[in-house]
Amino acid sequence: MKRIITLAVVLHCSVLLLAQNSFPPVDKSPMDISYFPVNYPVLKIQDKTTGPLIARVLYSRPMRDRRTIFGGLVEYGKLWRLGANEATEIEFFKPVRINGKRIHKGRYTLYAIANENSWTIIVNKDTDTWGHFKYDIKKDVVRIDVPVQKMSEPLESLAMTFEKTATGMQLVIAWDNIKVAVPITV
Amino acid sequence: MKGIFRLLAILCLLTIISCSSNKNEQPKETTTPPPDTTHTTIETPYDQYTVVDVSPMDMTYFPADYPKLKMAKAITSPPLARIVYSRPHLQNRKLFQEVLKYGEPWRLGANESTELELFQHATVQGKRVNAGRYILYCIPQQDNWTIVFNSNIDSWGLHQDSTKDVMRFTIPALPTANHVEYFTMLFEGKGTEAELLMAWDGIEARLPFRF
Repeated sequence: MKRIITLAVVLHCSVLLLAQNSFPPVDKSPMDISYFPVNYPVLKIQDKTTGPLIARVLYSRPMRDRRTIFGGLVEYGKLWRLGANEATEIEFFKPVRINGKRIHKGRYTLYAIANENSWTIIVNKDTDTWGHFKYDIKKDVVRIDVPVQKMSEPLESLAMTFEKTATGMQLVIAWDNIKVAVPITV
Repeated sequence: MKGIFRLLAILCLLTIISCSSNKNEQPKETTTPPPDTTHTTIETPYDQYTVVDVSPMDMTYFPADYPKLKMAKAITSPPLARIVYSRPHLQNRKLFQEVLKYGEPWRLGANESTELELFQHATVQGKRVNAGRYILYCIPQQDNWTIVFNSNIDSWGLHQDSTKDVMRFTIPALPTANHVEYFTMLFEGKGTEAELLMAWDGIEARLPFRF
């Protein structure tokens, strides 16, 4: 009786051990990086850059996975980490302006508050943290409200990219059937 | 007796759940043949807007798990170092027969060059390394790896510009019993003593840092 229980427990544990080693698994929401100028690293090794790197965003990409994203997983009106795992980081390699405010070069954390028709994008000075669980409003650098745009082709993974504009660039954030564009003056 | 069967059933169920949740950690595989993540041609413009990389990016801090420690308020000092790298996987290939060649530079990752950011200066093999960002690449040999710190930051990993090498460190490459499917980098150690562990297939190499 006792022996069967012991055997069962040992079997169970050994199967668990076989299934794992001590190294970190590949993330379910993989990390990714986007640059402005777009595709900068490839341009750089092809000697096709026309200027220095201005910004990059480092974020993890959660999947939609058949869930309702906006108004569901991402609750309207509540702080959202705008990614997964480590806090989403934007780095500026020269000073920029967002919503009229001068932002020094350096690393910042991005958060968002999504609503049905607009999002508030938050640039915060508290870097190297996890998600939004220790968000400190006192470390906000700037906030900007941006309108929600609908997309006809929904995206499975959260995506971020930079696009060139007349005054600099915009950070485009898209997931499911929604996108927003955050204007950044260079 | 009934109790034992119930216990067995519960244990089996637990095992199945834990195994299947492990499987969920793996990114969705595509049906395309395994891409050569070390010698790929450059595709421009690439469609990162919609496509998740086959070699996903990851990052690792020293102190290890820094963001989680910070969130838990278990640490108040700033981080000392961070690696941002992409993780190619073996996909049934043999590392030193089909992926890497001895004596040929290897980008220590995939896609963008692997980045080391030192948030304060460090000492590696007795040499001072200033704070800042570097890219890393490796020249593997059978028994040792030469790890190169290079200043050509924010570049794609396919071409190494050796004129921008800053420092080179040769460390032992040791066989291990682990089979590591995804190339893995992580910091181990405590306090001011760190080791950057690099592991893939059945090989491990460790580069020591003192902060």
